[in-house]
Amino acid sequence: MPGALDGLRVLEIGDLVSAAYATKLLADLGADVVKVEARRGDLARGRGPFPRNTPHPDASGLFLYLNANKRGITLDLTHPRGQAALEALAGRIDLLVHNVHPTLMAAHGLDYERLAAANPRLVMTSIAPFGLSGPHASYRGPDVVTWSAGGVSTLNGLPGLPDLPPLKAFGDQSGFQAALNAAVGSLGALFARLASGRGEHVEVSAQESVAAILELTFEFWPYTGLVASRLGRKPIQPLCFVECRDGWLFLCAVEEHQWQSFVDLMGNPEWGGLEVFANRLARGANFDALEPFLQEWCRDRSVHELYEAAQRRRIPFAPVSTMGDLLASPHLRARGFFATLAHPVAGPVTMPGAPYKLSGTPWQLRTPAPTLGQHTADVLAEAGIDAAALSAAGVV
Amino acid sequence: MARRAPLEGIRVADFTWVWAGPFCTLQLAHLGAEVIRVETATRLCVTRLLPPYPDMQAGTNRSGYFNQYNQGKKSITLDLKRPEAVEVARRLCAASDVVAENFAAGVMDRAGLGYETLRQRRPDLIMVALSGYGATGPDSDKVSYGPAQVPLSGMSSVTGYRGFPPMHVGISYGDPTGGLHGAVAVLAALLHRARTGEGQYIDLSQWETSMAVLPDALVEYTMNGTPPARDGNRDRHLAPHGIFRAAGHDRWIAVAVEDDAAWARLAALLGRPELASDPRYATLAARKLHEDELEALLTSWTSERSPEEATATLQAAGIAAFTAATNRDIAEDPHLRARGFFVELPHPEVGTRQHIGIPWRMSASDCRVRRPAPCLGADTDAVLREVCGYTAAEIDTLRAAQALA
Repeated sequence: MPGALDGLRVLEIGDLVSAAYATKLLADLGADVVKVEARRGDLARGRGPFPRNTPHPDASGLFLYLNANKRGITLDLTHPRGQAALEALAGRIDLLVHNVHPTLMAAHGLDYERLAAANPRLVMTSIAPFGLSGPHASYRGPDVVTWSAGGVSTLNGLPGLPDLPPLKAFGDQSGFQAALNAAVGSLGALFARLASGRGEHVEVSAQESVAAILELTFEFWPYTGLVASRLGRKPIQPLCFVECRDGWLFLCAVEEHQWQSFVDLMGNPEWGGLEVFANRLARGANFDALEPFLQEWCRDRSVHELYEAAQRRRIPFAPVSTMGDLLASPHLRARGFFATLAHPVAGPVTMPGAPYKLSGTPWQLRTPAPTLGQHTADVLAEAGIDAAALSAAGVV
Repeated sequence: MARRAPLEGIRVADFTWVWAGPFCTLQLAHLGAEVIRVETATRLCVTRLLPPYPDMQAGTNRSGYFNQYNQGKKSITLDLKRPEAVEVARRLCAASDVVAENFAAGVMDRAGLGYETLRQRRPDLIMVALSGYGATGPDSDKVSYGPAQVPLSGMSSVTGYRGFPPMHVGISYGDPTGGLHGAVAVLAALLHRARTGEGQYIDLSQWETSMAVLPDALVEYTMNGTPPARDGNRDRHLAPHGIFRAAGHDRWIAVAVEDDAAWARLAALLGRPELASDPRYATLAARKLHEDELEALLTSWTSERSPEEATATLQAAGIAAFTAATNRDIAEDPHLRARGFFVELPHPEVGTRQHIGIPWRMSASDCRVRRPAPCLGADTDAVLREVCGYTAAEIDTLRAAQALA
């Protein structure tokens, strides 16, 4: 089957998540992506997880997931001959995506004007923690910093425990959000090129990518002058976690018909009819009283049984899935979500698969992530560059 | 030369509601697509019914939540329970390049607006369906709300304070993640259509897009059978790493020491340069072993400074740090203001208010928020006339039949 982006030639210069996930989205839809790594290798190679918890630069789970379907080369972009090779490569492609820090871009030959002079159709997308301009452009920011700078951390905590800090979500989520925005901006620029015949420079800020997903909380300031806090009470309930006999369940019954169905499911206990729980706002205001009843009723039941019983009544409860639950899900199995790819060093690796199903041009996993420098000679030869000479000079 | 919008000439019939779907089509509007929201007064979009409202006065067109995520779009009202309205919707879809919806699986089919029906009149149509569980599979008839995707995806089981229960992440994270993936898929499908003339159907499950951003936890399990333990704000590969108390009421700062050299710079800032080479702290492995002491040491420094002052000092020394920003901090952030991130366009019912703009910039294309969020049905007559080809008399007839409610 064809891929939606067959024929698209992409170069990625990326460490960790943001640039790599942006180009993974394209590679999995058919783009030909070459990943350029420093000789030390992408930092994701050191992050793991590793099979048998044994670190190996070619066996990091994060790296293998983010870089499947790509070819990989090493190139020292701080060396003039490395930059010359980059220019030659950039002359042959449609899109360059990188997350080299703005303070280091020039030293790595990442000057859009110069690269575009040789290839006016080139689109270059620069991802930076705080963007390329403005007083904080030089700031550094791994996820805990950009997730917090974008305003999500302060929305998450335990209301009764103000000494616990704002809590970040698991993983490099600001990296993933920046990646998604970078993919949208890059594809937008490629679409614009259909009419203009010219490329352009796209820049993405991780901080802004996070600030863009504050749900309804951001507007509380400009609309009402209220500051959102993780210590506030949820206005409507139930929208909460309860512990069952075999795990955790998320209760979600905020529409009145959902609540009534849930009360019915519980066998219409007397407390379910109390005035203090009469509507979702009352249940929010009196949640301290409601929570023990809910917790007590759920304690001896199984997560799966309650989830299925609630869903049969159109109540949108969800289990607090463990990783094991997800791998065992008959639904995800029926949809073929998890994908297993054999890797020469890591062996077979099972990882998340298609995030969407395109009927005409399906998402596809074709080749495992490259070992460090695996395709250096091939890719440089395609561009007419003498890899042996660069190798002798210590550039690849 | 006048700047041109990337998606100029692309029309999107937008049947989405709440957050995930509107966030998908928001990106297309940013890129210049004509996004036409199909709404109904008989069942308002959930976000029109949620705060914040200016002066706490509710109103269909006054919600900051709706007005944030529907910038740049048009709105028409159709009561799709009426067959005349379904025909209007079909004409709109036939005149559109993209149809987007995020109802539960099967709803559009039952409304007579399924992909197979719509492509009869528009063979190159691209249709994207963003549902909680996906269009196929044994759970496809289950119902999903935004907040429930965080636990369902596995995110909650690995997010939380050490020794505490699973946690939420503070927002309905599955919605924007699903919406952005949807925008990527639509743009790729548009590029494919430009090359081949072929449209297609995109089945997007928010459950699956939420797991696409959890690979490290999932692969840790598939490789070694153990999921990562909930460990607050700590990171296995960086230490210290967390969100620490700053001076002021409930003020905090995120700090991450990225390598040993950054640790040496931090030790100097803390007035304890000798700690750079102290064997308890000199390497990542050592710092992870002594992380409690390290955090206490760092907190004694941050808690005496405002987060803004501490950020400036730390970043000047090349140490990653930033205020754990509130919505007010974001609104007043001088950097974001200098970058022109915010959008302030006059809205007929809420006036000129600050809204969040676009997280990316384009050097040549016209990429911007083109208009404020629409009032309910503001564009009904114009769209029916100009896009669907109805005469004024026909529109009156439809309205009399209550099809345009």
